[in-house]
Amino acid sequence: MRFSNVSKAYGGHIVFDRFSFALDPKTIMSVVGPSGGGKTTLLRLAAGLIEPDSGTVEKDEGKVSFLFQEPRLLPHVNVWANVEVTLRAFYEQEERNRIALHYLELAEMKESLHLYPHELSGGMRQRVAIARAFAHPAELMLLDEPFQSLDIRLRMHLIKAFLTLWEEERRTTIFVTHDTKEAILIGDRVLCLGDPHEPWMDEYINIPRIARDVHDPALMALEAKLFGLLTRS
Amino acid sequence: MNRTKRNLILLFSSLGLLLLWQGIAKSVDIPVIMPSLGPIFRALGFLAGGPSFPLNLLATILRALRSFIIIVISGTVLGLIGGRNQTVSLILKPFVTTLKATPVMSVILLAFIWFSSGSVPLFSAFLMGFPVMYLQIEHGVRQLDPNLGEMCDLYDIPPKAKLFYCALPSLAPWFVAGSKATLSMIWKVVIASEVLTVPRYGVGSRMQLAQVQLQTDVVLSWTLIAIALTALGDLFFEGVVSLVVRTRSTVQRRRVDALLKRF
Repeated sequence: MRFSNVSKAYGGHIVFDRFSFALDPKTIMSVVGPSGGGKTTLLRLAAGLIEPDSGTVEKDEGKVSFLFQEPRLLPHVNVWANVEVTLRAFYEQEERNRIALHYLELAEMKESLHLYPHELSGGMRQRVAIARAFAHPAELMLLDEPFQSLDIRLRMHLIKAFLTLWEEERRTTIFVTHDTKEAILIGDRVLCLGDPHEPWMDEYINIPRIARDVHDPALMALEAKLFGLLTRS
Repeated sequence: MNRTKRNLILLFSSLGLLLLWQGIAKSVDIPVIMPSLGPIFRALGFLAGGPSFPLNLLATILRALRSFIIIVISGTVLGLIGGRNQTVSLILKPFVTTLKATPVMSVILLAFIWFSSGSVPLFSAFLMGFPVMYLQIEHGVRQLDPNLGEMCDLYDIPPKAKLFYCALPSLAPWFVAGSKATLSMIWKVVIASEVLTVPRYGVGSRMQLAQVQLQTDVVLSWTLIAIALTALGDLFFEGVVSLVVRTRSTVQRRRVDALLKRF
């Protein structure tokens, strides 16, 4: 995916002005930035939900799956059907069953297939949403602060579940978050928005994800840099 | 609150209502103005055993059902369009607002002037019931979660699945609430129209006749029958909703069980 000279404004507020970046295939790019800095606009442009005022968004990846801030599950069908229904356009029944079950099992939801969203906790609902995002045959995954409303323990648990699924089948991913720690622990690269023309920061993290530790001096320095940029704004 | 407790409270409040009636009837002590419960229930038994009772009841039910079907279809279709299209909603707004504010009796009297007596209940019930159904559906469409719609589009959920898994279940509570409110409105309007137009058969015609003959207990008996019709309508809808929810839940659970056995 590549943004070339993308401009987007809402009324008088310029979010992007000839903004460019290229996304590396099968990696996770964390995106942080101040409120109104264009994080959600970037995701919506990438998903094709909105069009740029000028410039182009080129997408080599075909289908897109989106993990929203809230789980957005269908309230009137059970966990199983919530995943299965998103595969109907692509697979026959047998294949749908296999795929949906596989990802729900990986998301540790196999025991709750028959439950309805209102019968699940917030964390369980988000796990179903994660399973749905991975089950969908998408090459591009867009995550819009999907763990933000959860407590720290649950958040770490879900991040682990997410990364397990991601490592099993790598997809090009944009992960928007306002949590700098989360951005550093998950991303192969961290992009900090804030200036409509160019990112405030665009750095690659070369430490393998599995070896990352929040107390690592390099990561702490990166976090401090991000913190400085975001508090400056 | 559990079901038993709820039912007990309802039972006692209903008994309280009957006792209040009986108390007032006893203190007034003029049966032609306020008959006590005994004569009312005796009159009810007598009516129910009479040869023309099924004909009168059926005539009213058929009039109400005919109006109901027309209102449900037209109110739902136009409500779906009005909920999605602001121009249609604005075109219908003066019509709906006027009807909502018009007294039932004005509509019935005008209908009686304009049409033959047979068409009055149908016409009046339509004009009074249509806004109820239309507004419920229009409101329901506007309450549909746009986030869910966006999710369905992003995940390429086919239109048929989107309709049955997302749109229809979300609209169902509005449809049921609209249908219940419309039907209870229709009973009132149809019976009022019958009172005024006095067709050969109908609950309203019998009430009118009893009123002329100062048979207050008979008027009240027919009133009880009208109340029972409304209550049965509500029970019917609650039964249908409960059946649909249980069936849906069972079907989905069976699918999951079958799946777990296979994989």
